[in-house]
Parts: sequence; structure tokens; C-alpha cells
Amino acid sequence: MKGNVIKYERDNIDTDVIIPGQYLKIHDYAELALHAMEGLDPNFHSKVKEGDFILSGRNFGCGSSREHAPIALSHSGIKAVLALSFARIFYRNAVDGAFLLPIEIEMDAYSNISEGDEIDIDISNNTIKNLTKKQTYKMKPFSEIIGKIIESGGLFKYKPI
Amino acid sequence: MNLVAYSSTNQSKIIMGKTLFEKIWDAHIVVEKKNNPSLIYIDRHLIHEVTSPQAFDGLRMNHRSVRRPDLTIATMDHNVPTTDRSLPILDQTSAIQIRTLEKNCKDFGIQLFDITSHDQGIVHVIGPQLGITLPGTTIVCGDSHTSTHGAFGTLSFGIGTSEVEHVLASQTLWLDKPKPFEIRVEGKRKNPHAVTAKDIILSIIKNIGTAGGTGTVIEYRGDGISDLSMEQRMTICNMSIEAGARAGLIAPDEKTFDYLRDRKYTPKNYESLVDYWKDHLKTDSDAKFEKIYTLHIDNIAPQVSWGTNPGMTCDVTESVPSPEDFSKGDHNQKKGAEKALEYMDLKPGILITEIKIDRVFIGSCTNARLEDLIEASKIIKGRKISPHVRAMVVPGSQMVKKQAEDLGIDKIFTDANFEWRESGCSMCLGMNPDILSPGERCASTSNRNFEGRQGTGGRTHLVSPVMAAAAAIEGHFVDVRKMDLN
Repeated sequence: MKGNVIKYERDNIDTDVIIPGQYLKIHDYAELALHAMEGLDPNFHSKVKEGDFILSGRNFGCGSSREHAPIALSHSGIKAVLALSFARIFYRNAVDGAFLLPIEIEMDAYSNISEGDEIDIDISNNTIKNLTKKQTYKMKPFSEIIGKIIESGGLFKYKPI
Repeated sequence: MNLVAYSSTNQSKIIMGKTLFEKIWDAHIVVEKKNNPSLIYIDRHLIHEVTSPQAFDGLRMNHRSVRRPDLTIATMDHNVPTTDRSLPILDQTSAIQIRTLEKNCKDFGIQLFDITSHDQGIVHVIGPQLGITLPGTTIVCGDSHTSTHGAFGTLSFGIGTSEVEHVLASQTLWLDKPKPFEIRVEGKRKNPHAVTAKDIILSIIKNIGTAGGTGTVIEYRGDGISDLSMEQRMTICNMSIEAGARAGLIAPDEKTFDYLRDRKYTPKNYESLVDYWKDHLKTDSDAKFEKIYTLHIDNIAPQVSWGTNPGMTCDVTESVPSPEDFSKGDHNQKKGAEKALEYMDLKPGILITEIKIDRVFIGSCTNARLEDLIEASKIIKGRKISPHVRAMVVPGSQMVKKQAEDLGIDKIFTDANFEWRESGCSMCLGMNPDILSPGERCASTSNRNFEGRQGTGGRTHLVSPVMAAAAAIEGHFVDVRKMDLN
């Protein structure tokens, strides 16, 4: 999975900046996507491309349980969020709907990957290749069940028993 | 399986005690498989207008019904106007969400406390006051502050819309077992009218951080917790999510049982339930917590948040910190403080009590219950708000509003030039017309000071209801311990 990185060098990116409250009344996902990250980066919509990744610090997605947050990012074209850690409700929401991959990374990936770098995420090997900088980093493997839910395409397509 | 552990010294099997959380968890397991999430039974599902519509769409698309409409309870709170309810809702998108919830509840046979109901209110305020929230049960809702119900010894947590659909369809949820986290609150507050439950929970989050509880269920224990009323305990559990925890819990006691006795939906066999709860709903003395944190509250001060997450909080007697104060942490902490001060338009070193405010919001599922309004009214009584401040009270429910009006509390607020509104989430999350204008600074009794939370460009300082009331009077933050009560 290849794409370019949009980097937010900070911790605690909350769901209120990912999709501000006033847009939670919007049902059309394409319209919702127009407001993704608006609380933090009003230029996000103009710079994001299909297949991009977001890179950020600790506790990404903290705050509200609004599933609109991973939906807005996903419908903007974001395929994965790479972060040092995730708030759990955001993580579950991202996986449940198979909206995007929440990938936990280590400090070396966080520090070395820059805005605009092209990276290649290989889930089968748990590695991230930085094609721009010719570096390779490890990612935290998904637990078995998370991997299976993602493979199946979400909570409702996964048959556990 | 959870009963058995191996001691490290002699490798013999010993029986370990369980925490309250583990007891509730074990009682709700439907399917358990090693190294996998467990399927957990959900006793009550609370729904509201914002996070449920797509879940009902999903049910219809897949020709599924609601498995237990009798265990599903709905209200509208997030985007309802707090002005005259007899008038039509001007915001068309809000009106559509409200009508959609009405239709969904009708189609699927779910009890709804609608905008005209005497029982309408913020979902986390009405659950307990109607006796829907019960000790030892599991409660979910598509709202992160579902942790509030933990004050009753209830395992309760927020979920997303896909999971709302899953619970509607199956009354269960897949869940990795969180780790038990003990937070001990020890000691006695010197000024309990001025140093409140809000100051206790803000102090905890300030110390353990906004991700300090990630992956855990917190059990709050100690004399500092048992001293609190039920409404104060709800304030504590409500903000567990601001520490990143899945849920917060307090073991039920006589105060809990008294609170729930004689509510509208209190079960008929209540006294026999109480007997059962007394025997079962407590952490065993030899139970083991994964993590422990202790807060001593003898000398804690009223708290005021200065930044853009609830962990960025200090004593009212302190000054705004400098990003340099965070240079011991990593780069992101210092940068986070810089960004927060820039957004909040605050200079390091100025006293918290020098910060002038434009707006005051007394409301939200954190602090809009009757006691909150009574305590704030004691500060307000006989005084007027500062001429440059606009202040509003949004009671947590229609029942809270009526009880306050019966006590004449509304008059105290309106005499002081506060606006007295209808119940709902209101300015806590900026989904209805009650929002801050860009640049406005608000003393708010809510739970989140994130950028733009109360309106684009709005600046939120989290405080207790008495601190918000004092700030409304003076026009800037003041140490409410120094104010006379009227």
C-alpha cells in the first residue's frame, strides 16, 4: 500500500478537530469529507489525495465516540493513520467500519518520516518502507482478530464463530 | 479462568480475589476464547439523534430488527435547541435528525423521551434519574461520556455507530478485556463548597494525562470518593474518558441504593436487588489492580484548564505555564503547550485570576445536575454578572429544570442576568445555536476544551459550577474559596 504522508507533528489530535461538532448532522459522507481536519488544518481538503496517509504523535483520535471522524478521513482519501498511539474508541471505529488502518508506529518512523514522503506499508511483514528516504521501519502488528476484521471488510462482514 | 492464578513463589494454584470490574465483566460474558475479544452482553442501550441514524439505516438494509427494543431507550439531546420548545426548529439539518430518531423509534418499537417529554434531557442525566441505570449492569451509548453511569457501579462506555448497530441487532459487543486501574482519592477537602468533584477529576487528569487510563477501566476508591454524593460521583466518572479510560466505576453503597430507590423505572424487586448488590458488587480485598494512582485531596485548590486538552489544567492560584516547563518531556509536549497557548491567546506567566472571560456556560453531562445548579446559585445569589459577560445555565434535563424552578433557583440566576434555558447538550459541543464566536473566551462546566469544541475559534476553560459562577460575577477567574456565600 503506497502513498504520500501528511504529517501533524503533535500529540492528542482529538475527534473535535478531525470533524468539528457542527458537521455531525451531515449524512452524506462525501460532504462530510469536505470538512475533515478542518478544526486543525483548514487546507487539508485541498491538499489531501486519494491514497494518502496521516502521520501523527500520541493518543490520536482522543475525545468523542463519533464514527464521523474515521469516516471523514476515509472519504477524503486517507487509507491509514500512522501514530505513536491511538485513543481506543477511534481505533475501534476505524476498524469496525474498515474505514482506514490505524497503524501504531515507533519513534524512529515518527521522527524520520517527513511531510510529503512516499511510503509503502506492508502489513504482511509489519514494515513501512520510506521510498523517498530509502529507510525501513517496523510497525506494531495488528492483533489476530483486528487483522481478520480488517481483511473481512469490517465488523459486520467478519464471522467470528 | 479468571479465578485461578499461579503464585510466583511456590507455583501452587491460589484463588485470587476479583475487582468490581472483573465481577461485572465475568457476569456478562456470552462467548470467551483465549487471546480473543469476548462477546459481552449489554443490559441497557441508550441512543440519541446524532450517532444512531446510520445504525438504523444499516439494520433496514440488512433486514434486521432490534433484538431487544425493551432494553433500548432513546432521547434527543445533542442538537436540540435550548430556547422555546413550542417553536419550530430553525436548523433544518437538526430538525431532520430529530424527526429521523422519532421515525426510527416508532418503526422499531423503542421508547423515546422526545423534545416535548418531561423526561427529556442529556442521556447521561436521564438514565440515572429515571432509574434506568442500575448497579452491576452493562450500559452502552454512542457517546463517549457514557462513562458517567459508572458512578452507580455500572460498566458503561461509549461506542461508535457501527457498534450501535451491532448492539441494536444482537444486544452484544465484542470487547478486549480492559485492565483494572485503581485510582485512590484520599483525604478531606478543606472547602467542600469551593473545591468540588470537578476539581478532583481535573486534578487526576492533570497528573495521569489524557492517555493515562488508555486500555483500562478505572475504579475510583477511598474516603475522598465515598464522601461524595451520587451527583458528584457522576462528575468524576463522566470525565474518565478524558483520561483515555474505557470506563470509570465506583462501588455502590447506601448512597447509591437510596438514590435509585423510588425512581420512575426502578425495578419492582428493588430491595432484593439491593441485597444482591451489597453482597456482590465490591472489589475483593485480595484483588489485584494492574495500575494504581493515589490523589491526596486535603489541600487541592479549585482547578482551571489553560490549554486545549483537559490535562492542561492548573490551580486557580497558579499562573499560565510556559512551554519551557514542558521541556523535560519530549518535543511534542513542549510543542503542544506552545500551540495551546497560541490558540488560547495566553502569555506564559500571567495569573489565572487575571484571565478575563466573555461567556459562562453552566451545563453538560459533567455538571448540569440539581446539586451543581444549587451550589452555583449560592455564589450568584444577590449578585449580578459582570456587564461584559454573557452567561447561561442549561439544566441537564427537564426534570432538573423543574426541580430547580420549584426551589426558585431559576430566579436567582435570571435576577443575576443569567439566561435560563431548556435542557440539552448545548454549548458543550457546539452542535446547536449555542456556540462561542471566534475569539470568545468561556468559563465552562463541560468536559472538553479542545480547539473549536464550543464553536470555531472559541476558547474554553474547564471549571466547576461554583468557579464558573464566580467568574461570571467578577468577569475573570477568581478563587471561589475567597467568595462569601449568600
